[in-house]
Amino acid sequence: MKFNSKHIVKFSLAMLLLGGTMTSCTKNFEEYNKNNIGLTDEDLKGDGQDLVLFLRNAQMSIYNFSGAGDPNSYQVQQNLNADVFSGFFMSPTPFNSGQNNLNYAMVNGWNGEPFQVLYLNVIKSIEKLKSNGLAETYPALWGSALVIKVEAASRVTDIYGPIPYSKVGTSNTVPYDKQSDVYAAFFRELDEAVTALKSYKADSPMAAKIDQIDLVFPNTDNQVRFKNWLKIANSLRLRLAMRLVKIDAALAKTQAEKALDPANGGVLESNSENFKITIPADGTYSNPLWFISKNWADTRINATLTSYMTGLNDPRISKYMAPVIKDATTTAFAGKYIGIRTGAEGIEKDKYQKLSALNTEGTTPTFVATTAPVLMTAAEVYFLRAEAALRGWNNAGGTAQSLYEKGVETSFTQWGVTSGLSTYLNDNTSKAAAYEDPFNAKNNAASPSALTIKWNEGATNEEKLERIITQKWLAIFPEGQEAWSEFRRTGYPRLFPVVVNNSGGLIDTKIQIRRLPFPQNEYNTNAAEVQSAISLLGGPDNGGTRLWWDVNKGNF
Amino acid sequence: MNNKLYSTLRVLGIVPTMLFSASLLHAQTNQIKGTVVDAKTKAPIPGATIKVLGTSNASSTDVKGAFQINVDDKNRILNISTVGYENKTVTLGPGETTVTVSLDEQTQQLESVVVTALGISRAQKSLTYSTQQVSGDELNKVKSTNLANNLNGKVAGVNIASSSSGPGGSAKVILRGNKSASGNNQVLYVVDGVPINNQTLASQPDNVFGGQRDGGDPISLINPEDIENISVLKGASAAALYGSQAANGVILVTTKSGKQGRTTINFSSSAQIEQAVSTPKFQNQYGQGSGGKNSNTSVFSWGDKTNGANYDNVGEFFRTGSNFTNSLTLSGGNEKNQTYFSYANTLAKGILPENDLMRHNFNLKESASFFDNKLTVEGSANYITQKLDNAPSSGFYYNPLVGTYLLPRSLNIADYKNFETFNTSRNLNEQNWFSLSDSPTTQQNPWWIVNRNPTRSTRNRLLLNGSAKYKVAPWISIQARGSVDRTSEVWDRKVYASTPNPLGKTNGNYNYTNTTITQQYGDVVANMNFNVSDKFQITGLVGTSITDWKTEGVDFNTGIEGLKIPNQFFIQNTTTPVTSTLSANRRQLQSVFASANLAYDNWIYLDLTARNDWSSTLAFTGTKSFFYPSAGLGIVLNDKLNLPEFVNMAKVRGSYAVVGNDLPPYTSLLTNTVNPYAVLTVNDIAFLKTLKPEKTKSFEIGTEWRMWNNRLNVDVTYYKTNTTNQFFKVAASQASLNKQYAINAGDIQNQGVEALVSLDAIRNDDFKWTTSVNFTYNKNKIKKLADAVPEFNLTGENQNNFASKLEVGGSFGDIYGQDFVRDGQGRIIISEDGIPQKTNAYTKLGNSNPIWQMGWNNSFNYKNFNLSFLIDGKFNYEVMSITQSVMDGYGVSAVTGAARANGGVAVNGVTPNGTPVSVVDAEKWYTSTGGIGPVSSQYIYDGTVVRLRELTFGYDFNIKDSFFKKLRVNAVGRNLFYISKKAPFDPEVTMSTGNSLSGVDIFMMPATRNYGLTLNATF
Repeated sequence: MKFNSKHIVKFSLAMLLLGGTMTSCTKNFEEYNKNNIGLTDEDLKGDGQDLVLFLRNAQMSIYNFSGAGDPNSYQVQQNLNADVFSGFFMSPTPFNSGQNNLNYAMVNGWNGEPFQVLYLNVIKSIEKLKSNGLAETYPALWGSALVIKVEAASRVTDIYGPIPYSKVGTSNTVPYDKQSDVYAAFFRELDEAVTALKSYKADSPMAAKIDQIDLVFPNTDNQVRFKNWLKIANSLRLRLAMRLVKIDAALAKTQAEKALDPANGGVLESNSENFKITIPADGTYSNPLWFISKNWADTRINATLTSYMTGLNDPRISKYMAPVIKDATTTAFAGKYIGIRTGAEGIEKDKYQKLSALNTEGTTPTFVATTAPVLMTAAEVYFLRAEAALRGWNNAGGTAQSLYEKGVETSFTQWGVTSGLSTYLNDNTSKAAAYEDPFNAKNNAASPSALTIKWNEGATNEEKLERIITQKWLAIFPEGQEAWSEFRRTGYPRLFPVVVNNSGGLIDTKIQIRRLPFPQNEYNTNAAEVQSAISLLGGPDNGGTRLWWDVNKGNF
Repeated sequence: MNNKLYSTLRVLGIVPTMLFSASLLHAQTNQIKGTVVDAKTKAPIPGATIKVLGTSNASSTDVKGAFQINVDDKNRILNISTVGYENKTVTLGPGETTVTVSLDEQTQQLESVVVTALGISRAQKSLTYSTQQVSGDELNKVKSTNLANNLNGKVAGVNIASSSSGPGGSAKVILRGNKSASGNNQVLYVVDGVPINNQTLASQPDNVFGGQRDGGDPISLINPEDIENISVLKGASAAALYGSQAANGVILVTTKSGKQGRTTINFSSSAQIEQAVSTPKFQNQYGQGSGGKNSNTSVFSWGDKTNGANYDNVGEFFRTGSNFTNSLTLSGGNEKNQTYFSYANTLAKGILPENDLMRHNFNLKESASFFDNKLTVEGSANYITQKLDNAPSSGFYYNPLVGTYLLPRSLNIADYKNFETFNTSRNLNEQNWFSLSDSPTTQQNPWWIVNRNPTRSTRNRLLLNGSAKYKVAPWISIQARGSVDRTSEVWDRKVYASTPNPLGKTNGNYNYTNTTITQQYGDVVANMNFNVSDKFQITGLVGTSITDWKTEGVDFNTGIEGLKIPNQFFIQNTTTPVTSTLSANRRQLQSVFASANLAYDNWIYLDLTARNDWSSTLAFTGTKSFFYPSAGLGIVLNDKLNLPEFVNMAKVRGSYAVVGNDLPPYTSLLTNTVNPYAVLTVNDIAFLKTLKPEKTKSFEIGTEWRMWNNRLNVDVTYYKTNTTNQFFKVAASQASLNKQYAINAGDIQNQGVEALVSLDAIRNDDFKWTTSVNFTYNKNKIKKLADAVPEFNLTGENQNNFASKLEVGGSFGDIYGQDFVRDGQGRIIISEDGIPQKTNAYTKLGNSNPIWQMGWNNSFNYKNFNLSFLIDGKFNYEVMSITQSVMDGYGVSAVTGAARANGGVAVNGVTPNGTPVSVVDAEKWYTSTGGIGPVSSQYIYDGTVVRLRELTFGYDFNIKDSFFKKLRVNAVGRNLFYISKKAPFDPEVTMSTGNSLSGVDIFMMPATRNYGLTLNATF
């Protein structure tokens, strides 16, 4: 057939017909392309759910149990790091063929978790609240959010040293701040928090869902709630101030005195004011430490803790931990409290998981699924005040001895230990015990310290400090992050060193690990800034380099 | 008829049927005598088939080319066919009783017709791009459970990796290299002109723990016997009409239809057995323990010397697998109506105990024509039902290989074959394994996993196609097509009590998922052809299509408390049920397209196409649609250039195409997500800039030569593709408050050469040998990423010290990991304690994509015997084995035994203070360089592998019966042996058919060797 004009007409008609069926039917595209299980920030506004979700997310991530399900995040955020380096815990599991952080063979994949959780869970949530105008709508609540931020970030800077802080979220490559600047920022933010918290009046507007939002003081009268938050803010300032005592004694003193000034609202004094995160009942959340101990048997008590608690006849021991399980292989030592040495040699899970565990069993276990993780206690604050008094600072509110003894007493009360306090406080002979590993004598060790409990006013300041810090360490169990930081600052309590050191000489066995290396992801994504962070750190990026406040000199 | 065969058939009950039909046919006849000769040489042609159209009458010529056949008054049309000649139809005049038929030698390849995009048949000579055909017979030589695997080694330019998930697993098919960093790189499958949905149902493993499953790809559900042929459209030009889905090339599948003429029944049966090959090597000298001391609680094999314990634990656990496939097809019809029906079943048992697959395929296809053949209507219905138990998954979770491989070498796995023991206090059976507390690997008794952590997937697929074509006028026809492709799957896993945490809860747990994927497709196409002049023709089409995909489903699990009553698996039996709606994955694509093919004087061909797509995934981006054109030119040289006589065809061709690609669904609107526990995850992805569609620009030139009566064919293509505006999710510094950034950027370039040379080396009456070689070279290069972003991480840092990254100057599939710290002289720094030091930073260690591949296919026919084999090789790439590193860390591998026997590992090392180290204690070495987080560089292997992929040997029974047309028996083998292989596993097997975790082995199922028999009978 030949081609002619008639065909052109037909061809065009056919084209038009087909084109006509295509009249943009794209109006449903937005509906199709919105994830049916996704929520925009706008979707969350209904019923104030954004406030609930963001603030809770921030609180539950400090000691990470957000996300429900398995606590893999907390395990590498803290349990396989600070919880062990503080002498509280040790893992009976030979992770990575027995070569891992616990014997200083640093595992790349573990070291980035505290960093990730801080930025993606805590600070991101708080930034969302900020951009939603929380500071204007509910200033006191914003004040508590700032306290949460400082609490979370201070733990993380004390893990790595320099961290991105002032420029967080502003660009895709984020500069690090030197640690002195990070601390300065903390103090400023605490100032802002204190002002905001003080502003709360009985008639101030408050979010309807405040009892679901505030996991620290749920079901509390709002005025009491924000007074308590104010005390937490001041106590946190005191803790951070004390950390700087070796590097900047003047700043430490100023900030500590400010924190302790009764005019600023006071510090934690009673266990009812303790800074802890309630496990929400409206989900399948659980205490991650309990979970890891009970369900995974991946954490057991550290030999240092059993050594001190058994040697000092500490009545809190049965609250903290369970004795060795009895079975055919443990008859010789079942019923005793025996922990595991950090970096022990010959770790085998089937054996070592039978040693003392967190007290999760029995009719009245101290640790259950709903046990709230505790971040700061009144007892800790008494010990901080004892140290302030020892250093001759103002506003300590007592003598070093009285505050030391009050600290122990408050801790006993916190753990429900009702008798034996005076015997304990007056014991001037008991010392930490030597350690015997029932499976491997190579892990045995002599007593780590000759220190006794009873206050000795005639002792040197150094001995007094060891006493205060050792008792503080016993009181703040199981919060390994703070315990590790204070060990690095003061050298107390005297912890058993690792048995096996696989750091290849990067971490000294006696000096012990000082920090975690920067996350590998930062090297991949923020390389230039990590390099400047290393120069801010002032030493190589490994576990042997001391942080800014961690000065290698005496405490006085 | 051969007496023996006759009696066999009689036993089978076939003969009575045949006799019955035969008696009908001999009713009223007159006999025709004839001769068949070569049209040129006039030489007689023996063995030609003569059929009487409209009847089932047939005959064949003897050695002198003579035949006799009976015809009746009504059916007087003869069809004469034989290999190597064109078919011819002869109408007998009334009363004509003798006939001489001269046949023209086939110039089949020259004039052969190729199915191209949208199901349009075109003369191969007119194509301006590269395609390759694979016939159904070729494909079915050695059956496997996924037909995509059958293409391996046969097509130039394609790289196929089978997944490690056993029968029913999916395959990764990449044409001309990986183009998209985070999009889909797999080919599009088009069946009878309609794109089929080839989304895998479940997510593939994307982390080291695994536990995710390979849901299998829908192509694996197709019955290979239904396939007439496969046409591979490699480049973007060939595929441009299919649009964005086809940017990675298209595999066009044409299925069999009913044929006019007599009814054909075909029965084929294949029985194969399957064995594990390339399993790891173990040491047998040292027992359970560590530090050279025995301990019966250790999970390691670093103990003292054993007293000659030598257990083949792997051999004890794996079984011999089998694969039985039976298929029956019926086809027939008349001029107006044709019917094709097929049924097939596949019964496969994997090498993993309890890994069983049962599949039934039903296919009915009906074509009819009306109104003087002006209207042709076709409809087909495919129903596939498949049950798959215990598909293996890689990684550590629920993986029986972990326990099998890591069992301390002094223990005999046979002692644990009794995988459970009765616990009287709980009144139930509990798992029996030497250690259930190895949390880093979550190892369990392997038999317990397959029996007491079982999974089952039940899948039903219904594929309905309908089309109507109306010839409006001789120059135009309009065709409308529609299809619905719906796959639904129920998958569950039962976890019995005493499965350790974190996999199992105290009383056990249960997971149940129900998913349905639906694809609807419709198009209207007008096909036109105009003869502008005698020499100038235009054919063309305009069309529009709509494709809509939707995934829906729910997932249920028993949550944190698990089951209430132990080991009773149903949804009500828990106090903490967790039910979640699956992400729906909705997507719609609307398109208009047009093409014009201009032919001048049968020697110059010009192709032009244009397409515009509207995609739902571009919603919220401001761009809704994108346009892309292609152009191609082909010139046939031999007619115009006075080439020597022996050149049958010489063609040069070139084409250029742009193909757009939309975004993955749900990426253009960032949302916070809610996990099954109603816990909100704050969105942690951000856009660096507004997203836009991806573009692949593709250029190819090629040449095709056919020489010496088409006996030597050469086809060479050079191509280059650049994919720009790629959609990436890039790992971000978390201090930016984002985990990832989504951006469009980059330029990934693939360039390569494909060549196919085939030769009819010997073409005697008795002996034939055809041989072909295909060659593929592909070089991938990351030319550009985004400004200020020098590298993108496809996988994050992970516990295995493996990362897949894109770096400018690097190429897709680059493997990064840790290496040793070395001094200036290259010596490894080894601490005083004997621990080698590893770098913190990751360095490039290899690339997981083969740079070049070759396949060599041979087929010999001697009289009725035939022999064929396929050897192929993949070269120049690297793979990583975490299996090996973990085995080394646990002290079970052969190398650790040898090192201990030799008194340590010989190294070129130095201590930090300069003392040279030449030997390191084996345990210290392997526990620090191996294990779950190894020194990556130690576990990178050359991936080069050359194998005998397929071997068949068969016999065609010559049956001179008009009903029994053909009987062929073949002995077949697949993956029979490695001519060369350097890695400790088969590098072709992949954990995931997605983009990440390629080239890494984390306790994958080993590759298998198959052999068996196939039988093919045509009635």
